Amino acid sequence: MANFNLKDRVIECKIVYYGPGRGGKTTNLQYIHKAFKKQTTGEMISINTKGDRTLFFDFLPLGLGKIKGCEIKVQLYTVPGQVRYSSTRKMVLKGVDGVVFVADSLEVRRKENMLSLKDLQQNLAEQKKSIFKIPLVLQYNKRDLAKESIPLLSVKLMERELNGKLKVPSFPASALKGTGVRATLQECLKLTLQHLQRELKWAG
Amino acid sequence: MKSLVKEAELYRTQGLLEESKERYLEVLQLIEKNQRFQSNKKAINVIKDRIVGLERDLAEIDQETEAPELSGKVQDLIKNLFSFSQNKDAAEMEGAVALARFGQYERALAEFNSLLDKGTLPLIAAKNVLRCHLALSSTDAAIDQFRKWLSGELLSKKQLRDIRSFLEYVLKRKGIQTKLPEVVGESSQKPKEVGSEGGFLDVCSVKMRLESGPCKGSTKELDVTFQSGNVISLIVSAKDKDLIDSFMPGIRLRGVHFFSSICVFRANGIVSEWTSIKTGPRRGDYVLSITIDRSDKLDIL
Repeated sequence: MANFNLKDRVIECKIVYYGPGRGGKTTNLQYIHKAFKKQTTGEMISINTKGDRTLFFDFLPLGLGKIKGCEIKVQLYTVPGQVRYSSTRKMVLKGVDGVVFVADSLEVRRKENMLSLKDLQQNLAEQKKSIFKIPLVLQYNKRDLAKESIPLLSVKLMERELNGKLKVPSFPASALKGTGVRATLQECLKLTLQHLQRELKWAG
Repeated sequence: MKSLVKEAELYRTQGLLEESKERYLEVLQLIEKNQRFQSNKKAINVIKDRIVGLERDLAEIDQETEAPELSGKVQDLIKNLFSFSQNKDAAEMEGAVALARFGQYERALAEFNSLLDKGTLPLIAAKNVLRCHLALSSTDAAIDQFRKWLSGELLSKKQLRDIRSFLEYVLKRKGIQTKLPEVVGESSQKPKEVGSEGGFLDVCSVKMRLESGPCKGSTKELDVTFQSGNVISLIVSAKDKDLIDSFMPGIRLRGVHFFSSICVFRANGIVSEWTSIKTGPRRGDYVLSITIDRSDKLDIL
């Protein structure tokens, strides 16, 4: 749950990038770190293995300035996608306010996308949060690989399989090129802040 | 075949090593079936080399899931990130336990000692100090620490007795025969305790019958290295790879016997994580995390 400092009128919220391993969560944050230079309030911290796989998490703090008289601070995190890091994902997800689910468009990762989304649902449920109620945005990453003639899942199929029941905003993207990264984050921020406004009854 | 090779290469650059290997194996099968390509020994060797390289990378990744020694700044971040309680004392304890769970034993030890000095949840802090020493393979340091506490005033007699039986049990489980000094006298001073230390029983070891994997059907007994509430961590020797393979994350362990210093209880558990240790005397061994299912009834045996 977001931290609302009434006295100083500061709201600090947490957005977690979730999804299967090697799907592009860290690449999203790396692009945001470059593209949102003005909003970045600290350096990006990544704890990786030698193979550049996220071991614990990535962390990037942002400052969005004042909205309705409150200073908004955002902490962006990624989770390790590999199946074995289940308890780390649970820990990073604690106190989450909004989620970006980064799905891999590669056809060979179809099953992993579904398993990871199910894992997200279960881990949110352990925090007594519903995947249907939390601010959530889906991103279909690696769309640029279509040009390389690599078998990709169609956006239509991904929508049906991942977003059929959720019906949340979704964006085709290429985190490597930066396409769709900004739009994904902006939508997640919008949903999260709207949600917090209702929850915290915060007004200008 | 060209498109298969292209796919395999792309998956390799994306870090999708299993997928890449599968594609290269398909390419190899195609070559072997097609007489036209069979004479191209050079191409066959290139593909075979790629497969060997991928297998080597996959094996390395298996060994790379260790907790490296992180910078102070990152350790601070971990400490803050994993402190969720509104209560300041509980939050500090959570941060210190998180450091230990991520293998930052030296820093965790300093944090637990600092909490103990401040009188914050002293019983939990003291037991975790001992766990850190034991995780660093410093059995003597753990015993020396207990002796120091005996002659100091940080802990009450009641707490010291509890810690003594905890340490005695852990050492016994490790096969270390040593006579710990007795706690003499009645508790007269009020412990410098802040907050409640109520929570899950301290678990020293577990015994379970494995229902899946290569060790299916066998009964195993393992020592607990760390505990945070209902999550316990165990160290398994690298020699027991079969055992590790029997503990895939998400597997439900039924009817596990949990041994604490005061009782034995039976409950279900879920394998939540495993990582390998790269540094220190236990390099190469594995750390397993098991969550004790709180929703089930705990049977005291």
